[in-house]
Amino acid sequence: MIHLDNVSWRRGKKDSAPVLAHLSFMVPQGGFRWLLGPSGAGKSSLLSLLHIENLPTDGQMTILGKTVAQEEKRAALVRLRQRIGMVHQDYQLMPDLSVADNVALPLRLQNRPEDEIQDEVHAILKWVGLGSRTDVPANRLSGGEQQRTAIARAIIHRPGLILADEPTNALEESQSCRLLDMFAELSAMGTTVVVATHNESLVRRLERPFLFLEHGRLVDDGGEQP
Amino acid sequence: MTRPFSGRKDGLSLSEALPDRSLFMLVAMMGFLAALALAGASGARALSARWSGGAAQLLTIQVPEADTPLSTPNGTSTTRVQAVLADLASLPDGAQVHRLTPPELARLLEPWLGETDNTALPLPAIIRVRLPPDTSVPDTLEQTLNAHVPGTIVEHNARWGERLRALANSLLACAGLALLSVGGIATMITGLATRTGLATRKDIIKTLHGLGASDSYIAGRFAWRTATLGFGGGLSGTLAACVPLLLLLQMAAPFASAPLATTERLLPVDWQALANTIPPDMALALALLPFVAAFICWFTTQVMVRLWLLRLP
Ligand SMILES: Nc1ncnc2c1ncn2[C@@H]1O[C@H](COP(=O)(O)OP(=O)(O)OP(=O)(O)O)[C@@H](O)[C@H]1O
Ligand SMILES: [Mg+2]
Repeated sequence: MIHLDNVSWRRGKKDSAPVLAHLSFMVPQGGFRWLLGPSGAGKSSLLSLLHIENLPTDGQMTILGKTVAQEEKRAALVRLRQRIGMVHQDYQLMPDLSVADNVALPLRLQNRPEDEIQDEVHAILKWVGLGSRTDVPANRLSGGEQQRTAIARAIIHRPGLILADEPTNALEESQSCRLLDMFAELSAMGTTVVVATHNESLVRRLERPFLFLEHGRLVDDGGEQP
Repeated sequence: MTRPFSGRKDGLSLSEALPDRSLFMLVAMMGFLAALALAGASGARALSARWSGGAAQLLTIQVPEADTPLSTPNGTSTTRVQAVLADLASLPDGAQVHRLTPPELARLLEPWLGETDNTALPLPAIIRVRLPPDTSVPDTLEQTLNAHVPGTIVEHNARWGERLRALANSLLACAGLALLSVGGIATMITGLATRTGLATRKDIIKTLHGLGASDSYIAGRFAWRTATLGFGGGLSGTLAACVPLLLLLQMAAPFASAPLATTERLLPVDWQALANTIPPDMALALALLPFVAAFICWFTTQVMVRLWLLRLP
């Protein structure tokens, strides 16, 4: 569940213009939202906020049923972040680590047993079509391979909330479709999913409510009032 | 349970972000200096204890023309030395008064007079007085003795002892200050190394943080790295300092009244025996040094990394 109430976010100084201004919307648990808007509208900024890489400058934000605020205990935010999977626009892989080690990271950070980790990693890498590339360092992957690695890393720990920033821009049509089907399936099973994209044909394939941003303001809130 | 912080593949690659050489070498040098300062402190403490204890309670009395008869008011006849000994009976209870026997005297004077027959020389009588602890010589002792037996000389070791003890104490203070400075420099070196490591791994740390790594995990990874380097550096520095320390100990042995007083040779014959003469407190301090170095590095890095992480929510 995501709930934003009049949330604004500024980058840096107090008197700078807000990157995101007065956002109010809500996504129920298991809901799926497209995040749309022109380049520079603030889609990536909003996803970073939902991923708790930044905290709202103003307003109230609730992620997975937990209120996120400045005075929150750091340990609580760490636990909350472990329940979110994020595919960054620039992937943010560990360049020196192999594909398998990159994907294993969320599980290792949760101290899961190593044999369980190996099984999960192999299964998910097979699913994204990287079963034969497990030992390749991330900095020797093609763009599409990096993107699939990032997707695998974002979903391997079965997060309650998946945030994906342009997750298909480096993928082939067929791969994009499979990914979309999986997101729909995960959403049906109770995972909240927010996907930012420019790809209109993709949006047309899966008709779901959307959040439309323009200049950091919400023009369309997807129909569900907070 | 996976092994904590070792062999974990999390992308931090700290062996590259915090290269061994600089931190290791600098900590080794600090460890070397600290070991020397510790040895100085230990030596100064031992000397101070010695002079404030045994040596200060010693009194040496010389009676020239010892066996010359002395006329006393009541008419009995004694020798001068007997008169002095009689006066010394009034010293505090427990005082040990001992007149050196001729052989003892000969041994004492041997370095100056050689092994000749000294009986012909008019030697003064030497009386050694050991006072019990926590007592002092009456201020009037020298006057009293001189009034009865003119020419008696009282040499009180305490006067020297006081000065030497003050010297030893200031040496101890200097060694303490040196240790504090070395600790401060080690902290600063570790801080700088950590800052460099944080700068080169900024993006990786942000990604790890986003993936749900806790502050203690990230700080622990960095701190174990610097602590390992600090331990290695501290150990190397301490071991390197042991060679000059043993030589110093060898030279100091005669002054500390250690059994192996082979002053003619600079290099010790028996390293093993020499090593056994290392005072236990110094040995303990030296053994702890690598651990202290590791702790300083670990603690500094923990604080630095945790403060740095506060910029991330
Ligand atoms: N590192 C940065 N420093 C300063 N301003 C930034 C930075 N990153 C983004 N911005 C600005 O913040 C605003 C929102 O950027 P954001 O990346 O959220 O847009 P976006 O909707 O994701 O765009 P795109 O579709 O191109 O990815 C833009 O005006 C952008 O110029
Ligand atoms: Mg973007």
